[in-house]
Amino acid sequence: MNFTSQKKILITLLLILLITIFSICLSNAKGESFAYITNQGEDTVSVVNLNDLTVHKKIDVGDSPLGIAIIDSKELAIIGNVDSQNLSIIDLKINEVIKTIKLDTAPLGLAPNPSGGEVFITSWFKNQVLVLSTKDFSVTQTFNVGVTPSGIAFNKKYNFIVITSRDANLVEIYNATNYSLKKKIKVGSHPYGISTSDEFIYVANVYDDTISIINIKNWEQKVIKVGLRPYNVISYKDKAYVTNAQGDNISVIDLNTFKEIKKINTGETPENISVDKLHGNLIVSNWGSDSITTIDIKTLKALKQIKTGLQSRAFGQFIYTK
Amino acid sequence: MKKLTLFITAILFSISVFAHGPTPQKVQESVTVNVSLDKAWGLVKDFGAIDKWHPAVKDTKIEKRGEDTYRILTLESGDKLEEKFRSIDEDLKKIKWEITKGKVPFTDFNSYMIVTKGANANESIIQWTSRFYRTYKLNPPIPEGQDDATAKAAVQGIVDNGIAGLKKTLESK
Repeated sequence: MNFTSQKKILITLLLILLITIFSICLSNAKGESFAYITNQGEDTVSVVNLNDLTVHKKIDVGDSPLGIAIIDSKELAIIGNVDSQNLSIIDLKINEVIKTIKLDTAPLGLAPNPSGGEVFITSWFKNQVLVLSTKDFSVTQTFNVGVTPSGIAFNKKYNFIVITSRDANLVEIYNATNYSLKKKIKVGSHPYGISTSDEFIYVANVYDDTISIINIKNWEQKVIKVGLRPYNVISYKDKAYVTNAQGDNISVIDLNTFKEIKKINTGETPENISVDKLHGNLIVSNWGSDSITTIDIKTLKALKQIKTGLQSRAFGQFIYTK
Repeated sequence: MKKLTLFITAILFSISVFAHGPTPQKVQESVTVNVSLDKAWGLVKDFGAIDKWHPAVKDTKIEKRGEDTYRILTLESGDKLEEKFRSIDEDLKKIKWEITKGKVPFTDFNSYMIVTKGANANESIIQWTSRFYRTYKLNPPIPEGQDDATAKAAVQGIVDNGIAGLKKTLESK
């Protein structure tokens, strides 16, 4: 072997090393995101890798899992099991249940506070909100709220918790520090899913086929017609997205004009929706077709449907980004 | 007095129809029928024709109320059931409807049927999916006859008999 060929091999090896290092750096910088989907009909949570859109794992949890909260700072997912009336705590590093917490009530909606130290849980049968500490997973406080408390969200800017009282057609706002009632607002019929941005509260009025958008500064309410049986609504940047459970589609609302600009077909009975910010997609859980649908936020087009598990619901923010 | 009782019963019933517990139940069944897609879809989408294929339905009457379409079913048992047409999608070959009135051991009943192509031109698959809740919406203990299992068994019976009836009717023509 002469000097030139030795040199050639050396350069080639160096190049391979550099490319490997570069691609590792690149993939680390890009990160990974996962959807955690509660499958209420089979007592599992599907972990969908949103980088390659494959089901990474199925995790057994309690009976009839519905609600979910992702605690990024602690790398945890809290799952609310309606029929076994307990919570399954999933460690997101290993994707395994590390603890089960007994509640003696059916957990519906779950919302973490911004630090991740506490999770607020609507207690369906007892008309209360439970405050769960993520340090030792004990319920440190409970406070009374309106009947059939369902959806729940945390407003960071104004430090309040907002819930829907489904059978009273009300939205209720509570101070997140002392849990005092700040305000009750009449909305449409059968309010279920709820979310909040800095300036607004978004509510799905299931029986009216509308959403309410409430301005937090002056409590003015705009009511917007959407599709059949809206279950949940979220906002992201200048738009709101509504799952129309009986319409098998989502409504896209322009928040500058407060008008519906598009309907996008999903799977059967879409219930909940979260944003995969890493890939610029919306992820919708489809109860009827046991799947999720991915939607491109830029083009507002459905991309792919991925089978998850029986009766996929995932009530809450269900995306975890590493 | 009798009128008052009826009135109270009616109110109680309408409450039970419009409020439910937290877990929706699902019954989903499919059947392969040895007829073309067009023929299978032709029968499935005919909202007023359910008495032609469902063995529990004796008679169907279509009623228009404003823009909405209802069908009033007279069952073999003599009971009446009112259903509202929700939507039809010709591309997906999907029809949706819901029960709006009737004495049934479940609430908030929504259903859809989808017809797809089978393995060959003379084969189609009909899928029937129902979503509903039990009648008792409060905390356990749940009274007998108002639980998830009762609701599910009733709907399972309706769906099983229905798809068997569809197969029989379509293939005998």
